[in-house]
Amino acid sequence: MPPLIIVAKKEIKIALREKLAVALAVIIMLLLGVALYAGFLSYQQQHVVITQTQAEKRQEWLNQGDKHPHIAAHYGTFVFKPKTVLSLFDFGLDAYTGTSIYLEAHHQHEFMFRPAQDHSSMIRFGELSAALVIKILVPLLIIFLTFASYTKERESGTLSLLISQGISFRTLTWGKILAYSTLLLVILLPFLIGLLILSIFGSHQQTMPDVTTRIVLLALIYAVYLFLFIAFSVWVSLHSSTGRNALLILLSSWIFLTILMPKTVANLSENFYDLPSIREFKAAIEKDKAYGLDGKTPRSVRIENLEKELLSKYEVDSVQQLPFNFEGVMMQRGEEYSHKVYDHHFGKIKEIFFRQNRLSSLASLINPFLSVQNLSMAFSGTDTYTFLHFEETVETYRREMIRKMNNDMAENSKYGEFFEYAAGSELWHQLEDFSYQTPPIWKSLKYYYLEFVSLLLWMVLILFLINYSNRKTKPLYG
Amino acid sequence: MLQAKNLTKKYGNFTALDALNLSVNEGEIFCLLGANGAGKSTTINLFLNLIEPTNGLATINSLDVSQYSKETKQLLSYIPENLMLYSSLSGLENLDFFCGLGGKIYSKEELEELLKESGLQPDFIHKRVSSYSKGMRQKVGIALARARKASVLLLDEPTSGLDPKASNEFSELLLNMKEKGVATLMATHDLFRAKDTGTHIGIMREGVLIEHFATDDVSFRDLESLYLKHMHN
Repeated sequence: MPPLIIVAKKEIKIALREKLAVALAVIIMLLLGVALYAGFLSYQQQHVVITQTQAEKRQEWLNQGDKHPHIAAHYGTFVFKPKTVLSLFDFGLDAYTGTSIYLEAHHQHEFMFRPAQDHSSMIRFGELSAALVIKILVPLLIIFLTFASYTKERESGTLSLLISQGISFRTLTWGKILAYSTLLLVILLPFLIGLLILSIFGSHQQTMPDVTTRIVLLALIYAVYLFLFIAFSVWVSLHSSTGRNALLILLSSWIFLTILMPKTVANLSENFYDLPSIREFKAAIEKDKAYGLDGKTPRSVRIENLEKELLSKYEVDSVQQLPFNFEGVMMQRGEEYSHKVYDHHFGKIKEIFFRQNRLSSLASLINPFLSVQNLSMAFSGTDTYTFLHFEETVETYRREMIRKMNNDMAENSKYGEFFEYAAGSELWHQLEDFSYQTPPIWKSLKYYYLEFVSLLLWMVLILFLINYSNRKTKPLYG
Repeated sequence: MLQAKNLTKKYGNFTALDALNLSVNEGEIFCLLGANGAGKSTTINLFLNLIEPTNGLATINSLDVSQYSKETKQLLSYIPENLMLYSSLSGLENLDFFCGLGGKIYSKEELEELLKESGLQPDFIHKRVSSYSKGMRQKVGIALARARKASVLLLDEPTSGLDPKASNEFSELLLNMKEKGVATLMATHDLFRAKDTGTHIGIMREGVLIEHFATDDVSFRDLESLYLKHMHN
């Protein structure tokens, strides 16, 4: 049997006889089980509520009775953000972004800002999810398992005996890493199997079609992340004179990497790239809709220009002579202008989001926790970009709804007969029910290349440290 | 078998070992006597390649231990003053582990036999080492040396703190290994044990081997006088 395996087997045997380590492992397993189950319950409950409510709202829309299309456009409807099945693993920004949005003519109702006003930024990463347990608590277990991996051997004198058997530090270190990786795999395997079962059998495929690929990617990035923690902890223990020093260094690193730095980066990104308040955002849109994006073409001028354009085009003297209802065209043009205004302002908001995320991505180059945090949300479909994709899908749907109402009004009613015309069920059925699918994961990956680079660089660094920096290490100091 | 050629170890301005020259052949037990800080343990650690020499060579079977660390370690077995084993493993599990590292695979029965032959009480073989006395741990060390079929034994004050009975048992085991041709270098404070089991004795002071002779050439009384004289000087 290769010495590497012999060392690993010995380490596993000793770890399994350490009551504290076993107790911690059991606690982690329980926490993961509870977090997974709670996440699944929440996912199922929300899915049922959203599906039912969405169906009710759809029936309300279809059965709203005969009315003028523009009144129907204001009557509007609700759409709901479906929970992605992997949100049972990583809640990501779900709690932050909210779940429903009201769709009506002229107005893009807020969706993303309201929860941010209700909660502090702490809520983003503070809820107990399985991802949180693996990202933050499992590294703590790793620290308690590994901090004495070398220092105890050195302090008790077994290290001299070990080295006198002709085994190299490299083999010894890899043996220890293999042992702790195996132990961790055993601790996490039931959870991984549970996640797979719940995600595949509990999944509503129409929302997230590539769920299996995403789970594989999640498993991969977490495997890399936990391996980095194990290898780093063993390396620190190798180079520490006492267990106390190793524990101090590792706990300090853990606090810095998993708590202080993520909070600091989040706060810095908010300070550097400040989002306008919902009031400022809406006020800016209303102002530009009223006075024009250039500030010189108010709504009345835009209507006047449209009237002139159409009268000239159709060579008629009044809007009543136009072959369609001018009011319908006017409303659609007004709607299209408000789209332009909204896109202009929302584009700015998106740019701020991108910049905030960019800072987090850059910071991930020095902190693999941030890489995993960002990638975990992306693979779970609970990240900013998936949310923005949902928001765009909703807005496209809203615009299509309003376009259908305005077109019907233009084609089927007459100028000035606002209260006389009423559309019916046939028109309401022309608007398809809202459905949403997360974009394929490969489309999201382009936003996260820095996170991949970070994990790769950290892997190279750790492998270098393990393989080369212990060449001159001696079991005795002096 | 075991040779030091001008072997020197310095820590800054402090010379822990100064140009040591000695050789230990098959079937010899060379005992290094000296006060604390005389350089005995430094010599052992240099042969183990646990520390690098500042100058000179330490060789086992004519192989420089610094250059051929792995090869020379295959030939030796080491028992420190206080052999520390993995306390949560049993004596048998410890022996199995250390033998495995050296590429020696034994069945459970063979390991039990080795431990019994080395004097460990049978009812302790499967108990955790945390319940062992120091003497019991040293016996596991001897069992390991036998299991590894070591041709060189490095002992760093192995009987220090052992009761007379355990020390005698240990000496018997050493003599048994000597009969099998094992070359032993032992650092010790125990003059009686050195005279009783050693074939050669060297007296060290302040990193220098100031005198060495065959054990048969001196009586215990002469050895004691010689040792005290050098210590007082």
